[in-house]
Amino acid sequence: MDGQGQDSTGNKKVTLNPRDVFLCPDCDLVIPKVAIEPGEKLCCCRCGCVLDAPVENGAEKTMALSLTGLLLFVPAIFLPLLTLDILGLESTGSIYASVKSLLVSGFVFTGFAVLLTSIVIPFLKLMLLCVISAQVCMHRGSRITVAMFRLYNRLDEWGMLEVYMIGILVTIVKLFHMASITYDTGFFCFIGLLAATLLSSSMLDENYYWNVIHEACQKSTQSQTAAETLVPVPSDVVEERT
Amino acid sequence: MKGDAPRKTLLTGMDAGLFLCHECHYVVKAGDEAENLKCPRCHSAIHPRIPNSLAHSWAFVITSLVLLFPANMLPIMAVEYMGSSECSTIMDGIIYFFKEGSYGIGTVILVASVLVPVFKIVGIIMILVSIHFRIESWLRHKTLMFRFIEFIGRWSMLDIFVIALLTALVNFGFLSTIVAAPAAPFFCGVVVSTMLAAEFLDTRLIWDAAR
Repeated sequence: MDGQGQDSTGNKKVTLNPRDVFLCPDCDLVIPKVAIEPGEKLCCCRCGCVLDAPVENGAEKTMALSLTGLLLFVPAIFLPLLTLDILGLESTGSIYASVKSLLVSGFVFTGFAVLLTSIVIPFLKLMLLCVISAQVCMHRGSRITVAMFRLYNRLDEWGMLEVYMIGILVTIVKLFHMASITYDTGFFCFIGLLAATLLSSSMLDENYYWNVIHEACQKSTQSQTAAETLVPVPSDVVEERT
Repeated sequence: MKGDAPRKTLLTGMDAGLFLCHECHYVVKAGDEAENLKCPRCHSAIHPRIPNSLAHSWAFVITSLVLLFPANMLPIMAVEYMGSSECSTIMDGIIYFFKEGSYGIGTVILVASVLVPVFKIVGIIMILVSIHFRIESWLRHKTLMFRFIEFIGRWSMLDIFVIALLTALVNFGFLSTIVAAPAAPFFCGVVVSTMLAAEFLDTRLIWDAAR
């Protein structure tokens, strides 16, 4: 490895430029930064963790997909997914209704868990991703963008729309024998929402996003300090002189 | 894995005096003031390893182990049909599917709501114990297992979502209703605490045994 040498005590002393290397988040191995093409993946040679996976026009794609998801969100959550028909009696259910029925029947913790994992967090994730991608597209960024992206990464694994999708399928199989089931608008909107959410997070190139946001932040602080140095003498000082 | 000798000569961030920001994966040079190092990119605190990782992880694993018993023993769903109420535990539901002959869906529920939580808890305990005893073998396999545990973590919520949807859908008054039963919050607790246990566990501690 570059820059490796011996110090006076004889221990192996290594000086590396932090910008030239990746550190594997799973096993802490130092891996030299190599430029790779979009579509390729850089993996840790020791534990196989994905270190870098650039996507061509990733920010634009992610923004388009998260916008699609946001458009589909309200119909997917509030419109009925399925209609049950038992002996002429009809009943419909949406995702919102499933949360409500849990909360109404007294299961507050379970109700809130479902509310968060299937409605609030997926919505927040899409919203944050849309705003962040728009800013990355325009090469802008501020401390708020940084905070938003951190929040997005924290929330990432707590949005569980795909699990809900399998839940819907299990429900259909469960009720298949006792009732006739019709699929409603909400069901198809939900499939679209799920596809948009999954694709948008798979198109997300985290390293690129962080770099763009960091550069934009540095630029804005530089221009701020430049502006401060160019500020003319405050008016009250001028008045005192006259 | 090609034996132990070449593995030990690989350079880790610790040896090189480089720290990784856990939030944004920015590489920072370790200074003298390693105590309150802040990430220049995302402004979060940087630690060489996640602080108190093992203590947090143990706490959440033990919580989930305790919650696992009421989650599986109490009824999770009550079906009221023509005025008579029938409670069923998770296992009852799975046995029902196998008796009906729908083996595919029975297997899905068996895996998602019984095997996955047990596998997660056992897996995390195995990793924690191996970190405590600095076991140097199976490092890569342990990391792969942990990644798998992280991936399957969320899928146990399946049963909760099914019950939530069933309570909303099957609501025909006197004829038939389905309501959630006492095990539901416990089961939810198992899922949440195993996910948190996995989130707090720092996999780099597995590899520190090989240094």
